Amino acid sequence: MAARSNGLRKSRWFAGAALVAALSVPPAPAPAAGASRLAGELDAKSFAETVARNKGKVVLVNFWATWCVPCRQEFPDLVRLEKAYRGKVAVIGVSTDLARDLPAVEKFLADMRPEFPNYRKKSGGDDQDFIESVDDKWGGELPFTVVFGTNGKKARALSGMQTYADFEKALAPLLK
Amino acid sequence: MKALRIAFCLLAFAALAAGTALADGPAIGSAAPNFQLTSIDGKPFSLADAQKQYKAVVLVFIATKCPYSNAYNDRMKQLADDLAKKGVLFVGINSNATEPVEEVKEHAKTHGFSFMILKDPGNKVADLYDAKRTPEAFIVDKDGKVRYHGRIDENYEDASKVTSPDLKNAVDALTSGQAIAHTETKAFGCTIKRA
Repeated sequence: MAARSNGLRKSRWFAGAALVAALSVPPAPAPAAGASRLAGELDAKSFAETVARNKGKVVLVNFWATWCVPCRQEFPDLVRLEKAYRGKVAVIGVSTDLARDLPAVEKFLADMRPEFPNYRKKSGGDDQDFIESVDDKWGGELPFTVVFGTNGKKARALSGMQTYADFEKALAPLLK
Repeated sequence: MKALRIAFCLLAFAALAAGTALADGPAIGSAAPNFQLTSIDGKPFSLADAQKQYKAVVLVFIATKCPYSNAYNDRMKQLADDLAKKGVLFVGINSNATEPVEEVKEHAKTHGFSFMILKDPGNKVADLYDAKRTPEAFIVDKDGKVRYHGRIDENYEDASKVTSPDLKNAVDALTSGQAIAHTETKAFGCTIKRA
């Protein structure tokens, strides 16, 4: 009985600690008026560096564009997923929109309010180099999601629109 | 008995290899999967028949709503006309479950497409070729082999600034008996909306 109540106390303590930890993670602040909601621009090299900086966590990178309807449809699930897995999974968004579509990108991010960093693929150069640096089997279709393990190695690539359950299924084996 | 066993093993290996090829789409130099479809004008199309009649057949998976595909509407029109003069057939394929044939017809009319457009119900041909996006092109030569897979060019944003017209270059090389410099290329595009 004592052991059971001890176990119960422990599990309550863990649940309480988890709740405090979750609440203590501050949401990404809204940018100052006129400031961009984008975290910056990425090319093949800086993309690899960004993933490497998150080594030790599972990293989920989602490539999207404002004109891409399935990208827009799955994005709210990514926002929800990042909140649920915060601390264990680093979610990163990469817009492939052109520079001329920046106002649409800003509006999309303002509407979706993701609490994870979103970058824009740097303009110029041949997109093929960037696409192949992300995944050599990726043909360039959007949306596209790549999941990296805690060791920084690519574990899964998901082509096309995914559901919340699809994302969770891709993450599960990496979180064991 | 031993010969039978070897034959069985060879058959099993061939079946496995064929299955793998289909799952990943045809590799460059391998046989292009044959198919029959009906055009949006109600005309039957057979790849096997077309490849006998033309020097090559260019298949391009296209869409009505995809901005990347639409950015190429004028370029595809021009390319189809240019290729026809070289004895090469340009065919558009719409495999999107979200774009019914009436919409594809209207889109073709609006943009003045003179090339043949096939509707691919149930995205069977997209699956055969493992086509993932629009626009995505394949060149099939007279012998029914896939000779090119990839993009139309590298600059969807501005046709006047294209530096690498990969599809045109591949057709030019093929029809002049030269080696194709870049047989596989990539670009951003919209996912084909499968049924």
